[in-house]
Amino acid sequence: MILDRIVPRVLAVRRLPGADPALLTAYGADPSRHAALGLVTVDQDDPTYVALDEATKHAAVDVVFAKSFYAGSAHASGALSGEILGVIAGADMADVDAGLAALIRCLEHDACFYAANEKGTITVFPHVIASLGRYLSAQAGLNVGEAMAYLVAPPMEHTIGLDAALKAASVRAARIFTPPTETNFAAAWLSGDLNACQAAAVAYAAAVVEVGRQAWDLG
Amino acid sequence: MSFTRAVMAALQERLAGMDPLPPPPPLPEVPFPPSRVFPTPKRRSPYADAAARHTTALVGIGHVGTRYATDVVLQFQAELAVAHAAVGTELPEDWAEKNGLLPLHSRVSSHRQFLLRPDLGRRLDAPSLARLGEKARKGVDIQPILADGLSAVACMGSGLALLNHFTRECEARGYSVGTPMCARYARVWLEDEIGETVGAKVAAILLGERPGLGTGDGLSAYLVYSPKIGRTDGDRNMMSNIHQRGAPPEQAARRLAVLAGAMLDQKTSGVPLNLAGLDLGDAGGGGYRAPQARVRLVSTEASK
Repeated sequence: MILDRIVPRVLAVRRLPGADPALLTAYGADPSRHAALGLVTVDQDDPTYVALDEATKHAAVDVVFAKSFYAGSAHASGALSGEILGVIAGADMADVDAGLAALIRCLEHDACFYAANEKGTITVFPHVIASLGRYLSAQAGLNVGEAMAYLVAPPMEHTIGLDAALKAASVRAARIFTPPTETNFAAAWLSGDLNACQAAAVAYAAAVVEVGRQAWDLG
Repeated sequence: MSFTRAVMAALQERLAGMDPLPPPPPLPEVPFPPSRVFPTPKRRSPYADAAARHTTALVGIGHVGTRYATDVVLQFQAELAVAHAAVGTELPEDWAEKNGLLPLHSRVSSHRQFLLRPDLGRRLDAPSLARLGEKARKGVDIQPILADGLSAVACMGSGLALLNHFTRECEARGYSVGTPMCARYARVWLEDEIGETVGAKVAAILLGERPGLGTGDGLSAYLVYSPKIGRTDGDRNMMSNIHQRGAPPEQAARRLAVLAGAMLDQKTSGVPLNLAGLDLGDAGGGGYRAPQARVRLVSTEASK
């Protein structure tokens, strides 16, 4: 059914209590502040970015590495690769464990893609973050605690949907990721108050569904 | 629920409401029914088999699920047809005379009227009444009357045999017996008018009984002491199932003669009649009863 949830699957979760400094440096951590790492692979990348940000709100951890894999989880390099590798780093393992718990909770109960057509062959990620953490706020150039609409869809649907979202409420585009991204989706981060972000996300999702129903529109 | 999930659930509901005809949900896979839902029991109940051999009642006929087996249903319908046919059969006009009986006729004019108007079947028409007064013996102890009743088939079948046996049994006991007669389109209560007219102490009407399943040939006998118009069923004694699978006419005649004798002794009949201590002898029918096979009127693949 349209807009049914597609809950992400966490494929692997590993901890590195004392990572090698060379590894820490290579993955963007600071050996002087970070000693422990937590790593996850998930079959959906954008919910994971949101979940990584969520971790920074609940524990003294930094998101040091988060990258999507080319062409998405349908073309993964292995059974445990999924679509993204996320790494959080902390001074000790207890911080990292708390961060991982918040991350997994967010993936299980909050951030997820939705089916945009009956078959689920078109998916949409119209996510509203009520309060940004330290990771995404830095990425988006916004302040911690601000609301943000995190909108992702395939290229055509995204473009039509983004236009609808920008016109639906008083929101500002913080960043627009034109296609292709690593996973061949397209994305946008919209800033505004919570109600505006909600209205934008709803307009975006509705537009994506509409494009799915009517791919051809020659006027 | 998380904020985004709640928002999307609301949008989903809104979109579904806007869709004029949402696609039907996928049907669950319905398994094919097994080829035989009700397997035949491997072994029949020996009790049912034994019981079924001793009666023509519908016992030990098995079942298919909650229903009868096909051959049982067909047999039922065939037996019902036999009963219908027996009801529909008429006693020929001249049957009584051909068999040397005094012919009588009730006030009924047609077979259909006979079935619909029991009251007319309880009274004699004028010519019969005149004939009765003219030709019948008067002042007898016992007046036997053969009649068609609801089964002319039974009357023509074993009616004469029963009448003759009954007459012989009564005479053997020293009672005077009235002129043998046969009434057409007769109901039980006709014996009241006949008995009253001939001045009999006991009137005994022997007539075909209402046919049951597969028994269109059963006779009943109704006896009443001091017959007169207005007697009720409480004044009568009766015996039913006089046919070869029930009480054979010979045996039934003996029992009826004993019963008539008791009425003459006690000068009453029906409810007040004391039946205790009647000497029925071998006509009591309490002894061994031979197994009875139900006559199979139809055959199916299963019953062959």
